[in-house]
Amino acid sequence: MESWEEEGSVSGSGLGAGTDVELVRQAWRNEKAAPEILPFEEALVRRLREQIQLQEERAEELKSEGMEDVVVSLHHMDSDRALFLLKSYLRLRLHKIEKHLFFYSSHTHLFARLSPEEQLFCNSCVDIMTQHLKQSVLNKLPQHYQSVTRQSTSSEDDDMVDSPQLDTFVFCKTKTDVGAFQLDDTGEEIVDLVVDDLYVLRYKSIRGLVESGQINLI
Amino acid sequence: MYARRAAQLLQELSTCDEGQLPPYNSDKFDQVIRECEEHSKQFQSLIREKNEKNLDIEAKNEDHYGSFIHHLSLIRNKRCLMAYVYKRAEVIQSYRWKVGRVLPKEIHDKLNFSEQEYFKNHCAVIDSYTKDLDLDLTVDVIPPKDPYIRVRVLSEIGEVSLGDHSVSLSKDSLHSLRRTDAEPVISQGLMEEFME
Repeated sequence: MESWEEEGSVSGSGLGAGTDVELVRQAWRNEKAAPEILPFEEALVRRLREQIQLQEERAEELKSEGMEDVVVSLHHMDSDRALFLLKSYLRLRLHKIEKHLFFYSSHTHLFARLSPEEQLFCNSCVDIMTQHLKQSVLNKLPQHYQSVTRQSTSSEDDDMVDSPQLDTFVFCKTKTDVGAFQLDDTGEEIVDLVVDDLYVLRYKSIRGLVESGQINLI
Repeated sequence: MYARRAAQLLQELSTCDEGQLPPYNSDKFDQVIRECEEHSKQFQSLIREKNEKNLDIEAKNEDHYGSFIHHLSLIRNKRCLMAYVYKRAEVIQSYRWKVGRVLPKEIHDKLNFSEQEYFKNHCAVIDSYTKDLDLDLTVDVIPPKDPYIRVRVLSEIGEVSLGDHSVSLSKDSLHSLRRTDAEPVISQGLMEEFME
């Protein structure tokens, strides 16, 4: 029993109690529930990758010190799980980018939310998708209808670009007391957001609170 | 009715199960393209007629509304064709995550040339992203329950060194390996996860 508790404290210094894992998990949950892409957690991702690396090294060390297999395997398990979480987070983001390619590449404030690698990914995807659409459809259409983003030359804005559904409802939990919060522009709908309470609201109205970290999506 | 064929094209796609593709219908696709050309011709001739009558630009006679309908039908056709190609491309790119870099023949045969090219390009884009990041995102798709998995070897691999020990992977033998060691070999198709 004794040695188990000791081990508990060892993994506590690794990933077990790691608040970074918890933070990534929350970032992953937010990303999963939000209809649009959220700012990339660059520092967090970097820290977590370093910790996973350390944890792996620690496991190898323990093994070479002749630690029991089950303990070593617990360490591996822990880092494998953290790695899965990280990959799943990055994958989620790629899928979101893939879904609204043209939208993200043309809205600078959203494009800025992507990591440099993701920006590269987005641009390359736009290129190959444009090439594919031109080759299959646009080049065969009459002259004034060949734009990817506009219906015809008489369109005044990008009316062919699909955008994320911000009106959708999300489940969320408040992290801090927000107080009376206005849900619409007219000020007719006001809800009192109390700390640690659950709500189902339109994503659009709480968008700012998600970004400032006052509310978590679940 | 104008734009009916284009709608049929999309119906074909939407009656397919999620993640499945019907063969690329190039006959119907080309018919819709020809329809578009016809609309464009009609549109221009109506505009010409209107101009010949030497009416005020603002005047809205039957030629004006007629040409407008051709314009709208053309746009509707365009949106349908774009949706057809785009939706298919979305399914095609999802194969990279589900099936891998090489498509089985039955899927490959359903794509047209541009789509095959698109798939190759899209794989390359994902590869360059994972290379920049130094993390392979296409493995570990299921949350790990155990760092070890049971695998069955499908074809003779021979002696392989894993970490500090070496394993002899002969055909049809069963092993318990680290998931991270086994996954690349599994995706190469040399072994499979063994389920009891």
